[in-house]
Amino acid sequence: MGISVAFEGDARAAATVKLAEEQALVRSAQAGDRLAFEELVRRFDREVLRLALNLVKRPEDARDIYQESFLRVYRNLHRFRFECSFYTWLYRIVTNVALDHLRRRTSRREDQAPVPEEAEGGTRDFFDRQPEMRAAANPERHLLGQELGEHIATALDRLSPRERMVFEMKHYQGLKLRAIGDMLGTSEETVKNSLFRATRKLRASLDGMR
Amino acid sequence: MQQEQHGNKSAETCEGFGPRWTLFAAGELDAAEIAEMNEHLLHCANCNATLAQENALLALLSTNRTEPDAALLAGCRASLEDALDQEEEHGWLRRAISTWMPGSWISPAPAWSAALLLLIGFSVGILGPRFLRHSPAPNSAGQPGISSSASTLTAVANPDDPASSSLSTLDLHTANFAGMNVFPSRNNEPPQVELQLNTRQPITVQGTVNDDEVKSVLLYFLHNSQRFDADARMNAVELLRARNNDADVRAALCQTVHTDQNAAVRLKALEALDGAEPQDIIRQTLLDALVDDHNPGVRVEAINALREMAAKGQVDSDDHLLAVLRDRVQKDPSTYIRLQSAAAIRDLGPRQKF
Repeated sequence: MGISVAFEGDARAAATVKLAEEQALVRSAQAGDRLAFEELVRRFDREVLRLALNLVKRPEDARDIYQESFLRVYRNLHRFRFECSFYTWLYRIVTNVALDHLRRRTSRREDQAPVPEEAEGGTRDFFDRQPEMRAAANPERHLLGQELGEHIATALDRLSPRERMVFEMKHYQGLKLRAIGDMLGTSEETVKNSLFRATRKLRASLDGMR
Repeated sequence: MQQEQHGNKSAETCEGFGPRWTLFAAGELDAAEIAEMNEHLLHCANCNATLAQENALLALLSTNRTEPDAALLAGCRASLEDALDQEEEHGWLRRAISTWMPGSWISPAPAWSAALLLLIGFSVGILGPRFLRHSPAPNSAGQPGISSSASTLTAVANPDDPASSSLSTLDLHTANFAGMNVFPSRNNEPPQVELQLNTRQPITVQGTVNDDEVKSVLLYFLHNSQRFDADARMNAVELLRARNNDADVRAALCQTVHTDQNAAVRLKALEALDGAEPQDIIRQTLLDALVDDHNPGVRVEAINALREMAAKGQVDSDDHLLAVLRDRVQKDPSTYIRLQSAAAIRDLGPRQKF
């Protein structure tokens, strides 16, 4: 009991120090310190890229979202007034950029270039064409996994951009619904409803796969 | 006991528990609700099945996760760094535009913005025609020129009336910048400048930068940079460049390099010092810019100017100068500046190890 209280105290102190550091970095970046801005980027960019990659799947698109988001942060940093955490403010921008991207993609899906198919020939190099020698290799299992991945991708594509975003942020970024609401500029109740709808649609699409 | 029959595919849940299993699986319930749900699970097969379905769905979806690899992350960082470099070169203009574009101030205060827009509309509608009736013919016989006019409603005072262009210190302190027109001259003479200021009454100051009144207004722009926009300050620096051997102008340009908040203006001021008599104040300004300026473009201009002065034999090598250059060789984030600083050390001093 005593130890756990001590750990909690340590964790709180560490979080306070981290927050103070982050605020100092933001202030330096607002004053024009490029190195401070780059440090801020490095603190958060892996999570931003993971979110983008899992939303759009194509690395090129994820890179676009990453770059557009951090450029917007850079251009608008002087408007950040510490009314929320920098993380929340950053995610507001990232989610806006990603939602725009998803909406554009939904509206012109026919124009999208297909994702390069690793299983098909043509673009594969010498090493890709070599037979798999690992003991764990199992063509049937590989095929099933691929089929499952395609089913899941199709099911996720049936969600609206906002439902997709909420589901992603809840289940893969591990954020609380209230925080997601703050980031998306909406209420916790609305986010909850989006999560219900997303779950219902996914359940219907993937019924029989489980 | 709330137990119901359940179907074979999607289990029916008890009344009041349905969507809560989604929240339960998502870890969004508080301790009391979790205890209530756990208690219910002990007795309800249907809800157990629903929860199992929720968990199975999440487990299934988790198989389709993608983690960004190190190469992708490194590529993103490199692209962002390049984009930020470009942004620093052009960003001040975009920021200035975005500050003045309606979108940046309408959205935070829509009601006030709507009222302000209505007021502006009425003012323009009522006052506009009057100004148009009284405004004189275009100046300087329609010569082509660049203009940074901030408002088309500014009444231009009659240049023939001496009272309209006489400026007191009080006038300058209360003046708002309304616009600046620059008309190129022939025969290598300084350009004609027309400065429009709004004080108690609109004032227009005309002449070349060699006229003391024009010079004093331009210097005032630089000394009070927070009151005048970057465009006005850029033009002031450009015009004052022709007099960079004047002690007041030199001091103002150096001050601009040190204190102006806009990197483009600081850069312009550094360029405007080019060709001025080499003096300690200029050398110190270049060194300060090289060490302190956060903008790599300004630092590049500073090291280039220092090297140019060194090549012309206008910089005396001393310990302080060499120490600054060595510091840059070690610490400046820009490869170009580190290389140029090393080259400057080679040019200026004995070969040293660092």
